Amino acid sequence: MSSRRSDHPAASSDSGWRTTLLSNAPLPVLIALLIPLGWAVGSRAFGLYNERIVMLVGFNIILAVSLQLINGFSGQFSLGHAGFMAIGAYLAAYPAMTYSRQFHEPGVTLLFFLSLGLTVGIAGAVIGGLFVLLRQSRRLHRSAPGILLVLMLVWILADFAISANRPTPTLAIWTHGVAALQRLFSALIGTGTAPAAKLSSALPSSIRQPICFIILLLGGGTCAAAVGFIVGLPALRLRGDYLAIATLGFAEIIRIAIQNSPPLGGALGLTPIPKYTDFAWLYGCVIVTVVVIWRIAYSPKGRAIMAVREDEIAAAAIGLNTTQYKITAFIIGAFFAGVAGALYALHERSITPTSFGLQKSIELVVMVTLGGLGSISGAILAAAVLTLLPEVLRPVEEYRMVIYSLLLVVMMLLRPQGLLGGWELWPARRGHVRAPSPTVAEPVPA
Amino acid sequence: MNDTADSALRAEHLSRTFGGLTAVADFCMRISPGELQGLIGPNGAGKTTCFNLITGVYPPSEGQILLCGQRIDGRPPAAINRAGIARTFQNIRLFASLSVLDNVAVAFDRSAEKGLAGAILRTPRFARRRNQIEAEALELLATLGLCDQAAMVARNLPYGGQRRLEIARALATRPKILLLDEPAAGMNPQEKLDLMQLIRFIRDRFGVGILLIEHDMKLVMSICQKITVLDHGETIAVGTPEQVQNDPKVIEAYLGEPV
Repeated sequence: MSSRRSDHPAASSDSGWRTTLLSNAPLPVLIALLIPLGWAVGSRAFGLYNERIVMLVGFNIILAVSLQLINGFSGQFSLGHAGFMAIGAYLAAYPAMTYSRQFHEPGVTLLFFLSLGLTVGIAGAVIGGLFVLLRQSRRLHRSAPGILLVLMLVWILADFAISANRPTPTLAIWTHGVAALQRLFSALIGTGTAPAAKLSSALPSSIRQPICFIILLLGGGTCAAAVGFIVGLPALRLRGDYLAIATLGFAEIIRIAIQNSPPLGGALGLTPIPKYTDFAWLYGCVIVTVVVIWRIAYSPKGRAIMAVREDEIAAAAIGLNTTQYKITAFIIGAFFAGVAGALYALHERSITPTSFGLQKSIELVVMVTLGGLGSISGAILAAAVLTLLPEVLRPVEEYRMVIYSLLLVVMMLLRPQGLLGGWELWPARRGHVRAPSPTVAEPVPA
Repeated sequence: MNDTADSALRAEHLSRTFGGLTAVADFCMRISPGELQGLIGPNGAGKTTCFNLITGVYPPSEGQILLCGQRIDGRPPAAINRAGIARTFQNIRLFASLSVLDNVAVAFDRSAEKGLAGAILRTPRFARRRNQIEAEALELLATLGLCDQAAMVARNLPYGGQRRLEIARALATRPKILLLDEPAAGMNPQEKLDLMQLIRFIRDRFGVGILLIEHDMKLVMSICQKITVLDHGETIAVGTPEQVQNDPKVIEAYLGEPV
């Protein structure tokens, strides 16, 4: 394209700092306001029951807004959000119970996540390496991948046959592999504990607890994001109903895997988990989530994510890497679901796999759809309304859920596009479209 | 001009079969920036398939495609676009619920992949870059006469405007070669006349090479320097408008005898 003038008046008038300051300055104020608000909510006058509902609204806002990025903005219909929440909840609750010593050990908690990351990373590298080997072996000979695959299958079958007469037939590669990873993990924790504890004691005692809490939230979120990446790579090749079923399946796998792993408490769940999440922390996270997802959704990146949703072929034709945008949305959504799960676990004192089942995923999809696909404020509104509605309906006792379901049906009939139908309560950007200066506009032919 | 280092798009002996059906056989062409060529033929002749081969929607079964002397066949569509080939679609494919401005801005913004942290923190750099991209997008819209509709949702544009917007979006990727798939379909005579001038204007203003699929013979014959005629996937004629118009094979297969 011929020379484009970079000294365009609209581009040079704002050095950018104004935008940065204006959009970031209100945030600390907003978060500071949460502290007195938290006292009010925690006070006896407000009541425990009401406080609990306010907290539930908070968890659901984070979950609904993060799902909105996946289902609404990237248009990838996911039915597995509760699975990511479960990952965040369990991977925050477990170290909180085992390593954090009532949140006084940020160093050891961090060590837990680093060791976990390294261990899982090594396992992932081995499995990933096998896949790469399979793919690359095609270059040697056309049938090389097939031969390799058959060899692997034969090995696994032989392994299984040898152990078949034992009481519980198990795969030696699997059990040895898992045992080796466990040894690696304990070795890492073992050697690291002393320096990590030293690191904790170097911190002033007043900030030890909040730092440990933040590490747990970020750790839970990062684990969920990592699982989101692994799930997303194969699943995002699918579309529509097929993707929904695949994500549903993955979420169920996560739940059942947790249910069957003794260290995570199995079907009984984990208890007692130390409690830390309070109103100010939760709503601080709500603000951060909403701001981050808002800014991503209405940034050039979000624009590209929406372009992929609108028309994948056209998006590829203008040079966008469609897979990358879909996976980015999926990972970010999973991250915040993990954070919500961690907040939830560190508030509830006990968690069981059943709280993260299909029911929860569907509840979230209903929130996102009812709020209006592609609308962040809609998701917030719907999360609040749908959490409060069953509580408001408590006086009518046995008809409660009947009325709740009827209201959902009526709302979808009257407003199929959702409460806000893709629009936001406040403009995504002020002065979004400026009239170009007359010097630039050229006469159009004809 | 050096044959390997030139900036032309060259398709060499392209073939594509779908099962037993040969959609395109032994298709050759060469188009340089600044040139305006036409690709015509009856329905089902393989014109759009040629576009799909060049833009990487399907890999060719045989043959190769070179841009600036570099092989580009076999690359995914996004990579081919980044190499310098942009296209429009026969059935308009806009980002229907995005604004007109966003439709163009999204094509401008190749660095959108980076800036995630910048977007979250709204750094000055991010704000500057965003403003700059939107200013450039507006400038391009102004050039194509869509400036007044910039804030409109693309779906609500009139048909002619949607065609223009699709061309604007393709141009925003800064292509060397632009492929237009039936841009005049469904337009009235006056709109076709405007489009003709627009296409010439784009070639001169942006210096792109334009390859045009079109059924409107008046339009094709009056603006193209060179025309390739396809029938049943075979290239039956190549030449200037006059040569093609008088070619007996073309008259038989496509144009028909003048009454």
